Amino acid sequence: MKIAMIGWEYPPFKAGGLGTHCYGLTQSLAEKNVCVDFYMPKTKHNTNSNKNNLVIKEVGETEIFPYDRPEDKELVGQFFNSVYRYNDLVAEKVKGDYDLIHCHDWLTMKAGVALKEKMGIPLVLSIHSTEYDRSGWLYPNDWFIKIEKEGMEKADKIIAVSHFTKRVIVDKYGINPDKISVIHNAVYPLGETEKQNIVLFLGRLTIQKGPEFFLKAAKKVLDHGVSTRFVVAGMGDMFPSLIDKALDMGISNYVIFTGLLTEEEVKHIYRIASVYVMPSVSEPFGITALEAISAGTPTIVSKTAGVAEAFRNCLQVDFWDTDEMANKIISLLRYDPLHKTLSSEGKREINLFTWDSVADKTINVYNGVI
Amino acid sequence: MRLNRFSVFNIHADPASHSNYFNQKLNHEIFEKVAKKCYIPTNNLLLNLINEFDGKFRLSFSITGTFVEYCEQYMPSVIDSFKELFSTGAVDLIEETYFHSLSSLYDDLDEFEEQVKMHREMIKRIFNYEPRIFRNTEAIYDNRIAKKVEEMGFKGIITEGTEKILHWRSPNFLYKPINTNLKILLRNYSLSDDVGFRFSANNWPGYPLTADKYAGWMSQVEGDLVNLFMDYETFGEHQWIETGIFDFLGHLPGEVLKHEHLDFVKVSEAIDRYNAVGEIDVPWAISWADEDRDVSTWLGNDMQVACFNELKNIGRKLKETGNNDLINTWRRLQTSDHLYYVSTKGLKDGDVHAYFSHYDSPYDGFINYMNILQDLKEKVI
Repeated sequence: MKIAMIGWEYPPFKAGGLGTHCYGLTQSLAEKNVCVDFYMPKTKHNTNSNKNNLVIKEVGETEIFPYDRPEDKELVGQFFNSVYRYNDLVAEKVKGDYDLIHCHDWLTMKAGVALKEKMGIPLVLSIHSTEYDRSGWLYPNDWFIKIEKEGMEKADKIIAVSHFTKRVIVDKYGINPDKISVIHNAVYPLGETEKQNIVLFLGRLTIQKGPEFFLKAAKKVLDHGVSTRFVVAGMGDMFPSLIDKALDMGISNYVIFTGLLTEEEVKHIYRIASVYVMPSVSEPFGITALEAISAGTPTIVSKTAGVAEAFRNCLQVDFWDTDEMANKIISLLRYDPLHKTLSSEGKREINLFTWDSVADKTINVYNGVI
Repeated sequence: MRLNRFSVFNIHADPASHSNYFNQKLNHEIFEKVAKKCYIPTNNLLLNLINEFDGKFRLSFSITGTFVEYCEQYMPSVIDSFKELFSTGAVDLIEETYFHSLSSLYDDLDEFEEQVKMHREMIKRIFNYEPRIFRNTEAIYDNRIAKKVEEMGFKGIITEGTEKILHWRSPNFLYKPINTNLKILLRNYSLSDDVGFRFSANNWPGYPLTADKYAGWMSQVEGDLVNLFMDYETFGEHQWIETGIFDFLGHLPGEVLKHEHLDFVKVSEAIDRYNAVGEIDVPWAISWADEDRDVSTWLGNDMQVACFNELKNIGRKLKETGNNDLINTWRRLQTSDHLYYVSTKGLKDGDVHAYFSHYDSPYDGFINYMNILQDLKEKVI
């Protein structure tokens, strides 16, 4: 079987779950004797593959931006242009004897649809997030939705990262549920080191990820007299306003904003954190939760996050319920047996979430369209 | 028994908070629902059967103080109907701890003894009767408990007929503890669970279970007696009326009595009629819960053990204060349900725990229960 996979990012250069997913999936597909040509935009880093039947093909000359939905008007224009240019280039450059095209999210859909039509082979589309998620369900942009809807309609099969996302695809985009398979994400376990007194947020600082709810909960924890540090790791358009907010709340001495972290720094912070909080307003899956749990860090996630439907040994809250979020943070810091049990049961359960199994399920989807 | 939501922010916030630990509204609703589906119709049916078979259909009840309190508060007619059943002479009553507690597992057995005495007084008050047979919470049993129960004057004790203690031997005889003089009645879990768990399971080879089929199975059993013990909620609640459970129960006495060598006995009659055929040695506690048949349902993880120890230790200080209101609250918090909700077994194998829990997860169960225990602890210090 030979696949042309069209991606947007690939480690070490990545902004989110999409890159993590593409890496884990392609590595495991290659081990299962599926030949994959992975197309992605050209980067400074010259991404390479370590496997014979996995070839990374960088296309185009543009520098891409690390955000999938920039707020800044000027950036938006440049960003869209580079996405368009990339899609056009891919549609032009992909040639060869492929059994199918597999593309990911709106960033690569136009190329996927063009290639399906040009080459007359099936198109599989993975949905890691929709415009509704990225906008936090506030003013979703029709322009993105149109691209997404067209891609979903033209795809022969759709892979959704959760049942939650499958429902969005059916309800909001009017797609036939029979052509959607749910495949939950996986993780390469990080392993543990000694914990420090840190409560962690890690993700893009955008409305979708709910960082302001993390700060509100932090304020409540600190007001209760609990001594701990809060780390906000990541970058995004809310960065300046979050710093202002922490100052206004009078908690800036206890909140550390790290900015963008390197791969190694991300792993380190997951390992030393005592609690990880993922208060996303809308989260199709939430690979970061699996990463934190795999580092033995008890994790609090939004009830509606895709990971919450698949993973049992984590705590769940409504993202807006910062009282309950604070209750759970304090309980984790105060009650050792709770922390210990969540940590050990979490690490046990995480072993079920392997890229090997994601690849098996993905191959099943491929076999359904070839 | 259900608790109210209690967050860390509620700890130490209100001197009268202990009156709000329990979700009375929910407890009331659940009780009324189960009373209508199970207690009332089953009691009525049993009374008719006793009358119909002129006292030859005989049975025994084990009722906690908590249950009686709920009846008295929410639906006194349920107690009246138990009284009426008892007055037929065909019904025996079994002693247990007043609260559905794990006090038999504390290092000191004084609290256990007090709760048994409370139950004895309650049964005396309502039924004017003194039970001779004891059944511990969830049939929890070990040598130490057996010894204590014998010291308290009981003649028999009920526990689980598990291979863990029987090995190759049959549960269908009476035994005695290795260390003391009591008769042990062992639950025949296979035949009991045929009704309790499997009755409506249509993938089970025994399905559909009819009274004559079941009586036939019992008639073929070798031994002196078959002990069938099941949750009362089996009738109408675990097995809904639509499954035909009441038809089954209604036909059972007649079908059993068709076999000449079968009859019904109350638990106290069983120990008078038969002798113990062997000794049982149980150094580690067993119970009738889960596949494991031990106490891991309540004490299987660190969170449960932490709550159990906290609860136990609060009691020592609490009793010194002599504050009866707080002592009563503490005892209600000993109900094993609260620890059951913290079990992580359900996350691994099956959904039994999840079905009976009102928490999102055992972790939420822990946080809520532990917060309440911290609040109670602060009242004592």
